[in-house]
Order: sequence, then C-alpha cells, then structure tokens
Amino acid sequence: MKIVIVEDESALVRVLVEKFNKVGFDVAYATNGEDAIRVVKTTDPDIILLDLILPRKDGFAVLEELKRDGALKTIPVIVLSNLGEDENLKRALRLGAVDYLVKTQHPINEVVEKVQNQLFSKSR
Amino acid sequence: MALVPKGGRLITSTTEAKAKGEALLESIGDGVIATDQKGRVVVINKAAENLLGFTSAEIIGKFLVRAISMQDAQGNQISDKLSPITLALTTGKIITTTSGPNYYLVRKDGTKFPVAVTVAPVLLNSKAAGVTVVFRDIAKEQELDRAKIDFVSTASHQLRTPVSIINWYVEMLLGGDVGSLASEQKKYLEEIYKNSKRMGDLIDALLIVSRLELGTVAIEPKAADLEAIAKSAWADFEVWVKHKKLSIKHRREGGPLTLAVDPHLMRIVFQNLFSNAIKYSPDGGVIECSIERRESDILIAVKDHGVGIPEKDQPKIFTKFFRADNARIKEPEGTGLGLYIMKSILGQAGGRVWFKSAEGKGTTFYVALSLSGMTRHEGPQGLEPPAGV
Repeated sequence: MKIVIVEDESALVRVLVEKFNKVGFDVAYATNGEDAIRVVKTTDPDIILLDLILPRKDGFAVLEELKRDGALKTIPVIVLSNLGEDENLKRALRLGAVDYLVKTQHPINEVVEKVQNQLFSKSR
Repeated sequence: MALVPKGGRLITSTTEAKAKGEALLESIGDGVIATDQKGRVVVINKAAENLLGFTSAEIIGKFLVRAISMQDAQGNQISDKLSPITLALTTGKIITTTSGPNYYLVRKDGTKFPVAVTVAPVLLNSKAAGVTVVFRDIAKEQELDRAKIDFVSTASHQLRTPVSIINWYVEMLLGGDVGSLASEQKKYLEEIYKNSKRMGDLIDALLIVSRLELGTVAIEPKAADLEAIAKSAWADFEVWVKHKKLSIKHRREGGPLTLAVDPHLMRIVFQNLFSNAIKYSPDGGVIECSIERRESDILIAVKDHGVGIPEKDQPKIFTKFFRADNARIKEPEGTGLGLYIMKSILGQAGGRVWFKSAEGKGTTFYVALSLSGMTRHEGPQGLEPPAGV
C-alpha cells in the first residue's frame, strides 16, 4: 500500500513516515502545497494524508485541485490538521475529504487505524 | 430655557430652545433621521448626511424607505414592508438590528456599509406619530471582531503543533517503536505524556472560552432526546468509570424529555456534569442523574457523593480557572474552566445552572432549560468537541 503524507512540520513528517513504514506502507511525502500535487502524481498512492496549513499553497487549494483532476480524484484524502474550527471541517468534507482528524486529539496509532479502515472499506 | 425677570412672569425663549435642539442633534456622532407618521423624512443630522453621502435637501420630505436603500448581507433589497422603519411605524415597537443578521445601507454613490440601526416610534397617545432612526457604521467593529477570531484560531493552531509533536514522539517511545525502555524511563515518559495532554486540554478549553466570550458560537436548536444525549455523553467516560468502579442511577420523570436544544452544546453540558461527578467521587461510588419535565422547564440534576465543595469556595466555583483546594488535591489536573464554560453556554442559550454541596458529603449540580428550549444564536462557528474539559 502506498501513502502520500503532506505536512510542513519536519518533526511530524519524520514520525509519521517511521510509523507508516513500520506497518508496511510505502511512504512518500511533500512539505508544501505545490510539491504535494507533483508527489501525488508521481507516486499514485492508495491514500493521502493532508495538512491544511502549508507553505506555497494551502491544504484546501491542494484538495480542490486533487478533486478536479480526473485521474487523482478517486484517491481518498484524510485531512490531518490542528485547525479545529467547525467551518474548516465542513469545508474539507464539502471539498471531498473522507475524514478530518485533529492531530492533538488522536494518538498516532489511531491515525494509522483510520487510514487502514479507509482502505479496507474502499476495497470491499 | 427660562428667563425670569425680577418680579415678572416666565418667558420661554422658543428660538433659544430650537437652537439648542439643533445643536444637540448636529453634535450626535451617530446618524439620526426622524420621519412623520407616514414615514416621510422631517429631520436628518449632519452625521447621517456624511454617512450616506446625501444632503438633507435631497432627503427631506421623501419617504425614507424609498430614499435610502437597505440590503441584507446577500445584497437583496429589504422590501418596504419588512423595513424596520415600517415595522416600527405599524407596531409602535422599537426595532433594533444590532443583533442577528447584518443589514447594510446604500450610499448615494452606490457603495454600501454594514450598520447597527435602532428605529424607535415617536408615540403620541400611544400611536406612532413618526419614528427616529439612529444608525452607525459598524464596518470597523466587524473587522476588529474578525481579527480577534482569526487571532484565537491561529494562536490555538500554533500552540497545538508542538503538543502534537510531543504526543506522537512519546507514544512512539512508550510503544517500543524506538527500542525498549527501563521501567523508570517509562515512568518519566508517562509523566511527560500526561502533561502534554494536559496542555492540549487547556488549549482546547481556552479556545472554547474565547469563542464564547466573542459571542461567535452558533446555537442551533433542534428537537432532541435529552436522555439519549445523556447516555451518549456518559458512554464517553466508560474507561474512567470502569477504572473507578462507579455506577450510575437514572431517574426520569414527568413525560417526554425531548427539547429544542443544540445537540452538540447539550452534550458538552452533560459531559461537564458527568466528568465533575466522576472526578470527585470516591472509587466504587454511585452517581445519580435525573431528568425531570416540570411545569415550565426541564430540570437536570447530577448528584455525586464525593468530596463536595467547601462553603468558602462556593461563591467562586463558576469563575475562570478557579479550583477549590480539596479539588486540587483529589484531581490535580483539571483546567478550572469546565464550569465557566458550562455556565457561559447555558447563559447564552437561555438556561440556568446552580448547585448544592457540602464538604465531604457530595455535590448536586442542577441545570434548568425552559420548555421552549435553547435560544437560537447565529454565529460563524460551532464549538469543537473538547477532548477532555
């Protein structure tokens, strides 16, 4: 299984890559919005974890672009952000994200679980 | 203004009174327009002229609802029938648009600005002989509010980032993902984790408090089953309840317990009541939750047999960050914001909260909501579900 992680905090990228590698994923990542699209195109992942506050292009813009692209729009996107406001959650879901997780509210194991559940339910 | 010559009659100078009145009107910083009972403009002050870009000559004698266009936030014209001016004239009541959806007035040059407007009928023999309209430009106020909201949102996001990094790194360490740990090392890491979570809870609580104080929390009442919300909130604490070997007794009285409440906020209220009861209960204790439909309200009571609130602390219990000494000893990690948040939510929603308590004996918290339910409140935001307040 391939996953692309879009996150600008390098410490978080490191620990997420380590964790997903451990559970058997091939991991690619991007640390800004512009690189995100490029990395998704070259990786063709099964799922994307997307932060919202990113340099160069924010997560919402990336999400919109992904969902506009014929080839990329079917890849499930889980938003992983520390922005907690309701309006952000609603907007992300409206734009096509399948889930929205506030980082401080989920242990890292739970993030993995949610990713796996999403892939498991998709394959059925 | 009365001039009293020695030994003579009172002479009132009407010219002087008129001059004073005009000076008063012109000095008022807000726009003031007065109409006759048909709604035609009779008076308009300088501030109104400046705000609207019209001269008094262009407005006086015209029907106000035609002369000045009022729009909603979407740019739709407010019809004559629904204009606050018409409403005040026909109902004889003061109509104010300072709360609720925004209204805009359109200037002579076609640009528009958001306003706070109050239209008051001038009553003669209890009938409206005209209205006075007082309005001011609130664009700057709205900008300031928006800036406050953005600041709170950005600050909480910035504070959460290092907390989530600490959380996940410690989880990896404790999970054995980066090597095995000696038991002393585990203990130290657990303490770090606990306090990082504590910081996260505090950030969440502060975020909620800021939004409540800014008045940006939306209250969207819909018919809801209070019992179901209570049960679901209690289920959140399953692990904790099992650990402390607590049990709960339910009591329901008086008929259907459905009420028009914002389900999200109601859940927060129950979560708060339960978490306090659980926190301060002794292991193996019993908590009682009763929901009763009475004549004009629904009364919720959550009772514990725990440490109780000392009398000297009772007056301060709903204030921000306050924690009684015995509470601190029993449970050192509370934020001290839970009760303030609950009281604030209920205050804005039209409910009440109070308590009865005796030190060492236990506490009962009461929440009352009128049968008409929570008051609706428009707002840009709901409240995030707090992880642990």
